[in-house]
Amino acid sequence: MIALRNVTKYYQTKHERKYILDNVTFTIPSGVNVGILGRNGAGKSTLLRMLGGIDFPNSGHISSPNSFSWPMGLAGGFQGSMTGRQNVQFVSRIYGKSEYEIKKVIESVKEFSELGDYFDMPIKTYSSGMKSRLSFGMSLSFDFDYLIIDETLSVGDKNFQQKSKTALRKKIENCHILLVSHSMPVLKEMCDVGIVVHNGQLHYCDRIEDAIERYNQINE
Amino acid sequence: MVRRSSFSIFRSVITALFLREVQTRFGTKKLGYFWAIFDAMLMVLVFAGLKAAIAENAMPGVDFPVFLASGFLAFFLWKNIVSRSLNAFSANSALFAYKQVKPFDTVLTRVLLEILVSTMATLVFIAIGLYFEFEIAVQDFNMVILAVLWLILFGFGFGLMSAVFAHFYETFGKIINVIMTPLLFVSALMYTVDSLPPVLRELILYNPLVHFIEMIHGYYFTALDTKYVDYEYMLYWTLIPLYIGLYFYVKGEQRILST
Repeated sequence: MIALRNVTKYYQTKHERKYILDNVTFTIPSGVNVGILGRNGAGKSTLLRMLGGIDFPNSGHISSPNSFSWPMGLAGGFQGSMTGRQNVQFVSRIYGKSEYEIKKVIESVKEFSELGDYFDMPIKTYSSGMKSRLSFGMSLSFDFDYLIIDETLSVGDKNFQQKSKTALRKKIENCHILLVSHSMPVLKEMCDVGIVVHNGQLHYCDRIEDAIERYNQINE
Repeated sequence: MVRRSSFSIFRSVITALFLREVQTRFGTKKLGYFWAIFDAMLMVLVFAGLKAAIAENAMPGVDFPVFLASGFLAFFLWKNIVSRSLNAFSANSALFAYKQVKPFDTVLTRVLLEILVSTMATLVFIAIGLYFEFEIAVQDFNMVILAVLWLILFGFGFGLMSAVFAHFYETFGKIINVIMTPLLFVSALMYTVDSLPPVLRELILYNPLVHFIEMIHGYYFTALDTKYVDYEYMLYWTLIPLYIGLYFYVKGEQRILST
């Protein structure tokens, strides 16, 4: 369960405040996989960052008894000078894994992400697809109540996409996802409920199909 | 999922950050080891050489290269703590994607790393000193260590304050970097306060680093004393920046994280 209470988040531009969330009170129920839809710039990623605890509302509170992964996205999340391997070591350490466990995590991430020699290259040499493969591969080795996924299921070739989906389906037997995607088939396949972010408000739909319909209306 | 105490998370994060800093500092470029002693070594050689060229020993009872080395090692420890803290947030900002990592941790980690690097440099200097039979014996070891630990705390508070200010006002960071070089000449590193004319003496004692360096020199060499060291003044310079730094850090942490 995730509870938002009077949450307001805005960005200050030169002339005005642009509201991402405008005094939103809202509860995401437990036990469902959530798809998040909205137009570019509507604030989907900011919402994910706030749910993941690395961005903060200007006022109001977000609370949840659950644990969240880092936001897995196409942008950021990696220090360019570190190699893929160093990054996996770093994340394993902050989650308190022992050296033996870290070795196992490295093995499985290396295998899953299919980075080959790039695994020992600085991340700044990676394409955005490679970064999200690494990020997603890492997340499979840790336990969370919610995985936060920002548009990363459509990277890589067909083969890799298929593999990711299979892995994710297995993973969500034990946890849930908050998924931002512009791909309607992916949303339909992975999510139970949907949230549409629009004009500073969240619209909750019990069925992901309804959320998609609502999103399509906004776009018309 | 097992909940961990915030202290155990903090410890994991500091370990992870520390090992990451070690990797980037020494892992990729082997020159990292060299740079660790380069600054202080260069200064000692230059000023010991100058001194030898222009005058005979003006400090009876003091081995001048040792005088230089002890001061410069302390000075560079402080300087590196401050200037590395200054960039700690920006150099690690991508790692803030993991919510366990707080900006404060990055400053603390860099301070710890500088302590390690400086200790290594000091050991190299001691080895060189022993080999060339310099007069490296310490008069009051405990007090020298106390002075160095105090200097570290001063550097940490000042560095944290600078890092927070520099994050919100870029100019502040530039100013700090600009004053570092002139500081080298006004911190009683190549001379003692006692050797200065009274007018200059009064001026230079406004520089807090002078007190720390004089304290180290005074307790290191039997021939020197600590009569110009103002402990109260040192305490102000330790506690006030630390307080200001922590205060604005706590206020600004969320803004530092989200940018």
